[in-house]
Amino acid sequence: MKKTDTGLLTTGKTPSIYTSKTKSRLLLIFGVVLALYFLSTYQTNSTPGELVIGLPNLFALLAKFFPPNLEVLVASSVVAAFSETIQMAIIATTVAAILCVPLSLLGAQNITTNKYLYGFMRFFLNVLRTIPDIVLALIFVGIFGLGVFPGILALIIFSLGILAKLISETIESVDMNPLEAMQASGAGTIQMIYYGLVPQVLPQFSSLVLYVFEINIRASVVLGLVGAGGIGLVLDQQIRLYNLPNAMAIIIGIFILVVMIEYVSNKIREAIV
Amino acid sequence: MIEFKDVSLVYPNGTQGLKDVNVTIKDGEFVVIVGLSGAGKSTFIRSINRIVTPTSGALLVDEEDILKYKGKDLRRLRTKVGMIFQNYNLVKRSNVMKNVLAGRLGHTGTFRSIVNLFSKEDRALAFESLRRVNIEEKLYNRADELSGGQQQRVSIARVLTQKPNYILADEPVASLDPPTSHQVMSYLKKINREDKITTIVNLHFIDMAMEYADRIIGMRAGEVVFDGPVSQVNEKTFEKIYGRAIREDDMRGGADLEED
Repeated sequence: MKKTDTGLLTTGKTPSIYTSKTKSRLLLIFGVVLALYFLSTYQTNSTPGELVIGLPNLFALLAKFFPPNLEVLVASSVVAAFSETIQMAIIATTVAAILCVPLSLLGAQNITTNKYLYGFMRFFLNVLRTIPDIVLALIFVGIFGLGVFPGILALIIFSLGILAKLISETIESVDMNPLEAMQASGAGTIQMIYYGLVPQVLPQFSSLVLYVFEINIRASVVLGLVGAGGIGLVLDQQIRLYNLPNAMAIIIGIFILVVMIEYVSNKIREAIV
Repeated sequence: MIEFKDVSLVYPNGTQGLKDVNVTIKDGEFVVIVGLSGAGKSTFIRSINRIVTPTSGALLVDEEDILKYKGKDLRRLRTKVGMIFQNYNLVKRSNVMKNVLAGRLGHTGTFRSIVNLFSKEDRALAFESLRRVNIEEKLYNRADELSGGQQQRVSIARVLTQKPNYILADEPVASLDPPTSHQVMSYLKKINREDKITTIVNLHFIDMAMEYADRIIGMRAGEVVFDGPVSQVNEKTFEKIYGRAIREDDMRGGADLEED
């Protein structure tokens, strides 16, 4: 009965999961990563020890934020700043959603068959996405002065980069067969796109636009810190004036806003996809 | 009338798609092209509406050489040549009506089609086409809710809505079961008879070719190796076209099941 085994146990040969070659290679990779980590902490002087030393300071600072002064949230200037943030995100998302249509079509390999045009578009979209939103805001504030307008411009460019990239990838994954059928029946390029492509990407498109709207809300808070309007501007002022309980209330307000918008947009996205 | 005159096609990778093809297809004929996969059937069919472009020779549709066509002429040619595909090629997320109306795109201005301004006649024609293939009750269903056979009928309705003079069908039944295959072929044959639309069908099933064709063209390695009326065709002819003995999977079967 025992003899029906493969015989491995009886011959004393127990194979391991990996060959010794794989094992030593894994060990080498692990060692390199570990060495990189220690090198980085040494060079930047940020060791876990620093964290332990700084911890009491952190708690002391945090304590100054409490209790949050929630009354600030109903102050008319704060309410106005909150709605300004939402309005900035709405305008920026809408404009970006419109502008990204031609850009993402030109950046999709299956629609833009011209190699050079496609390559150029891809490069352009990469450049757009490389510029951080905060840098964009600083540039536009420099050009147009403090206010909401430069903030909206920064958000448009920032979200255009993300949207065009994601949507051109959605376009590249569509079923090209219906478009071929329309081409074979004499339809023009715009008709093919409108009848064959749009129905296939529309759910994804709406979902991505909502996602970018959420990102824009969060980004517009950060942009306020550099003077580009919205609730971020008020938050920055409160921190500079050392009104930390006020700042904490605003942070809580931002948190509630972000969670609410995320919830609503999740519900909408579930309904359409 | 469609005339192939010494038509050859070499693909960019060097594959010979067509080799010195000389064929004349008269108006109203129902022609079935047979051959193994890779024999050049698809290339033959797709040359007629210039989805692919032959590299030499002349291809005349209604006495005009279509190989020189560009832009507007090409679109005009395609509006009079309808096409049916193996995978139906419907927009799955759109409803049946919208898919069928897509057959009118070549006849409709870009702006009108984008704002969904199809004329009353076009919409009536679309519905009538659906009625002719007995699927009008699925008008507002999404295409991906239909079975394969139903989707292929919708794609036939789309071609009918196009009002073509020619219908090209590229392996229209390859993805369907035997009874549905016969149903689809019967519709194609009926339309050919009633509307006098010249129909060219690619098939690799011998029994179906024999049952529905007026004329059979056999292809191998890009060349026409047989061309004659179906009455001259027997199993020997197919063995010559295929270059091997006939096997069971060369038959679709199912034709006699309904009669039993």
